[in-house]
Amino acid sequence: MDNKNRQPRVILHIDMNSFYASVEMADYPELQGKPLAIAGNPEERKGVIVTSSYEARKYGVKTTMLVGEARKLCPSLLIRRPNFDRYREVSKQLFAILREVTELVQPVSIDEGYMDISDLADRHPPELAEELQKRIFADLKVPCSIGIAPNKFLAKMASDMKKPMGCTILRKRDIPKKLWPLPVRDMHGVGEKTAEKLKKIDVRTIGDLANRKEYELKNLLGVNGSKLHQRANGFDEREVDPEAIHSFKSIGASTTLAEDTAEETEVYRTFRELAEKVEGRMKRKEVVGQQLQIMIRYNNRKTVTRTRLLHNNTNSREIISREAVDLFEEHWTQQPIRLLGITMSELVETNEAVEQLNLFTYERVAEKEPLYKTIEELKEKYGSDVFKSSKMPLPPIRTSFQKDFLDGD
Amino acid sequence: MKFAIQRDQLMESVQDVMKAISSRTAIPILTGMKLEATTEGVKLTGSDSDISIESFIPAEEDGTVHIENIEPGSIVLQAKYFPDIVRKVPDNTVEIESDHTKNVTIRSGSAEFHLNGQDAEEYPSLPQLRTENSFDMPTDLLKRLIKQTGFAVSTSETRPILTGVHVSTEEENLQFVATDSHRLASRKISLETEETLNLPSVVIPGKSLSELNKILDDTGDSVQISITDNQILFRTKHLYFLSRLLEGNYPETSRLIPNESKTTVLIDSKELLQSVDRASLLAKENRNNVVRLLTKENNQIEIHGNSPEVGNVTEEVTADTIDGEELKISFSAKYMMDALRAIDATQVKISFTGAMRPFLITPVDDASILQLILPVRTY
Repeated sequence: MDNKNRQPRVILHIDMNSFYASVEMADYPELQGKPLAIAGNPEERKGVIVTSSYEARKYGVKTTMLVGEARKLCPSLLIRRPNFDRYREVSKQLFAILREVTELVQPVSIDEGYMDISDLADRHPPELAEELQKRIFADLKVPCSIGIAPNKFLAKMASDMKKPMGCTILRKRDIPKKLWPLPVRDMHGVGEKTAEKLKKIDVRTIGDLANRKEYELKNLLGVNGSKLHQRANGFDEREVDPEAIHSFKSIGASTTLAEDTAEETEVYRTFRELAEKVEGRMKRKEVVGQQLQIMIRYNNRKTVTRTRLLHNNTNSREIISREAVDLFEEHWTQQPIRLLGITMSELVETNEAVEQLNLFTYERVAEKEPLYKTIEELKEKYGSDVFKSSKMPLPPIRTSFQKDFLDGD
Repeated sequence: MKFAIQRDQLMESVQDVMKAISSRTAIPILTGMKLEATTEGVKLTGSDSDISIESFIPAEEDGTVHIENIEPGSIVLQAKYFPDIVRKVPDNTVEIESDHTKNVTIRSGSAEFHLNGQDAEEYPSLPQLRTENSFDMPTDLLKRLIKQTGFAVSTSETRPILTGVHVSTEEENLQFVATDSHRLASRKISLETEETLNLPSVVIPGKSLSELNKILDDTGDSVQISITDNQILFRTKHLYFLSRLLEGNYPETSRLIPNESKTTVLIDSKELLQSVDRASLLAKENRNNVVRLLTKENNQIEIHGNSPEVGNVTEEVTADTIDGEELKISFSAKYMMDALRAIDATQVKISFTGAMRPFLITPVDDASILQLILPVRTY
């Protein structure tokens, strides 16, 4: 690990405590102190519990349990439907509070995020954390737990140690005493399946994992094994990246033409280049998208944007440029053009993306099935990085679409 | 024209005929409804030029009098107001009268409406079908065929032919097929006719069939179906339903249906349906409502739904048998639920031929109905 030259960092992990249930209790005070569950379909006994309050958890009520089952464990259980719009709104306010402290805030989901407060040298981290926690509770009436640590992994583990309303410091020197005795299943990044595999080689606690040889874990779990081994020993180099969430919203490229043109061949050539750039950016971010937007600015500065929803997620330059040209032809007024742009939005991470196969064309995909299977197996063994670098070097990211557009003239 | 009619009979016919009337039509008079009184009864007509419906109310039926004081004649009424007027009149009897200036008076109890009518002569006459290609089938069976296939038509105009249901005959079998290219529904029945059928294959707009299904009563009475090159007619005792057919070649679908299987699952239909329904609860937030199915040991099937922002759900269902290769496959929860509901059998057989290939759902020991679903590829 090349962390010799790095300054020690201070990372906070903020984790909202049973967020949906807490928001409901904040909005409806009569629910406070009562066993409460949020479920998809409360009327039906077979609805699934999405989250529950601490009062309900005391009875053994758990997430993904059926409403019927939960009612048996806790007859006085109150059940409400989720109101995702409201949760998103509270989440927005939460991150706004965090950003008042520093710009280095990385939301990871609706109810948790990391902050890098290394540069706030004048603030004592535990004091700052407690202040934040009180402020969030005062403003939003929802409790949270905060972990304070030198990296993301330890901060995440620390925020789990005391709930609700805990503030826990986890220093590197605390690891053997505070982290290692915990069951390995409690480690962030270890799911049920990994835990099962680890059990077979007699790894039961995080300490067991930390004290094994790295190659042994790598053999068992592939690259994930090495990663877990490093984490268990307190190493995690991941940065707090405030753009991690925003950068997924859209990816685009645009260019001002050398001179105003009404030449179709010039337009097509430009779209091909832009599509190539967009493909590169999407591949680097590991996303695919379904919505295509083109921008046309004419020589009289009039600018139009046109959008098309594609049939499937894509990051292929061929599809992007073909659809862009098609869309362009539908809307071009034949006037000379000054600037062209392509933006892909409705992005999803490649590993979460899906493609509905088509009865008349599936053979093309199915033929490659053995190949996909092999890729999957290799990914499991060596990590998803294996298949990244075979293409030519990707162009560096310069400016966002919007910035290109503003700098256009 | 003049007659006094029982409100309930009139209301029912008006509602049926309204299914064909659109406020947006190229021919203005088609926004109206034609009323035609003869000594036998009253006929109502509506059309949007794709679908035309005639409903006949006999003056007397099985000894019950529906219509009295008939003075023959005809008129076209504004369909925008007429149905609401009939619905809201105070009395059980409605009297409708038109004078030579095409003014129409509707009386019921103490209420009296005056509407401007239009000349019935200007209403286009419905085409008369001249065809030898006719056959009969029970109404409830026709409704079943529509319900089991109609949901799978395409709602997108990118391939217009797929917005219809393909109806074809082979020897004495009649087959309905619909596909939106992501799933396919097919139902075959044997028509118990003496003569062999020699009907042209046609594609009926999905919308026509769904409107027809709403109008037809669930009875065993027979419906006569007549087919020409570009139109199809469904006729019951008092109803005449004419639809335009879709032009173009329907894709050859029979060769797309796999006839081998690598993994075969026999399972209780309702249990699978409910489990997919639950998994879809947490899959709805992800854009495509995709759930994952895994075969496990001891006849266990795992169904999994996941939305990164919300959470995930995993459930095991016990199958009756699982034969063949291990399988992990993802598909649209909606397509699976539609298919299982359409099949409506207690136990189903699902035949998979790989994670990227269509899979087939049929009742056990019944090849007359099949549902095909294309899986979803996860990256």
